[in-house]
Amino acid sequence: MVKQATKMKRLINAIWIFNWFNSCGFCELVPLVGSRWDMERFGMIITGTPRHADVLFIAGYQTFKSIKRAQIIYEQMPDPKAVIALGACTMSGGMYWDSYNTVKRLTDYIPVNIYIPGCPPRPEAVFEACMKIFHHVGAVPPHGKKFAKSQSK
Amino acid sequence: MTETPHNENKVIGEISSKFKIEGKLQRERRIWVTTVKESLVALCNFAKGLGFEHLSAISVTDWPDEGVFELTYHLWSYSERILLTIKTRIGRANPVIDSVVPIWKESAQIHERELHELFGVEFEGNQDLAPLFLEDWDGPPPFRKDFNWRDYVRERYYDKTDEREKTYCE
Repeated sequence: MVKQATKMKRLINAIWIFNWFNSCGFCELVPLVGSRWDMERFGMIITGTPRHADVLFIAGYQTFKSIKRAQIIYEQMPDPKAVIALGACTMSGGMYWDSYNTVKRLTDYIPVNIYIPGCPPRPEAVFEACMKIFHHVGAVPPHGKKFAKSQSK
Repeated sequence: MTETPHNENKVIGEISSKFKIEGKLQRERRIWVTTVKESLVALCNFAKGLGFEHLSAISVTDWPDEGVFELTYHLWSYSERILLTIKTRIGRANPVIDSVVPIWKESAQIHERELHELFGVEFEGNQDLAPLFLEDWDGPPPFRKDFNWRDYVRERYYDKTDEREKTYCE
């Protein structure tokens, strides 16, 4: 993971997102797109194709049919890549825990890096997850620390 | 907008004179017709000829106590502005019925595919009854009332030995 962080540091200055949202999933991200939380000020942009994306946002309940398409999208994304799962449905099935056609354990299908709880998750929580990616790749120093010398030049 | 007179009684009369069944005027612009499954396709063809060119939906109601599936065909006529509901009953043990795809083409196709996977109804004459939503499904048709999906899910998807997941099985 450390090695990957070094590699990601060279590549990521902003994170570009591809959305895979089922059912009410996109409602969870919509506040971030608007002016109040405006994710573009942090360099987060939604791309139209997984081939340009660094991060896959996956939200809403996943069915056994749709998860196959999510896997294809994940494989199309270039390395290095991260997966962030939003909301209760991706964590445990949420209110669809007893549905015969939804995925209960998402990690059986896709390697998820960060889960964000909530139904829907607060925009601040989504930002915090993205900050963790920035911290991890060193694009932004962790809270209370300054940039290393080599980065401040 | 001017109100046009509606010809519900004319439609009921034409159907009853041709098929010897009584249509019921449910309320204004709503007609219910109940038929046997053998004459369903003929009745649908006749209804299309009367102007019911739009198939809004096909639905199945499961009556496990009576051992029947009730199929309901909702037809709309743009010229008459009347909703015609055709109902027919088929046996639950061997749910086979003639397809209406030759009459309404694609709009019937998607409904028949869905009802085939959810209730297990066979539509004879439909060439493509491939699963619509339930890819790789090998359980019983899930919308049947005798299918206990909660027990199925507990058995199938949760690990009773797992600390987090065992609460779902209690």
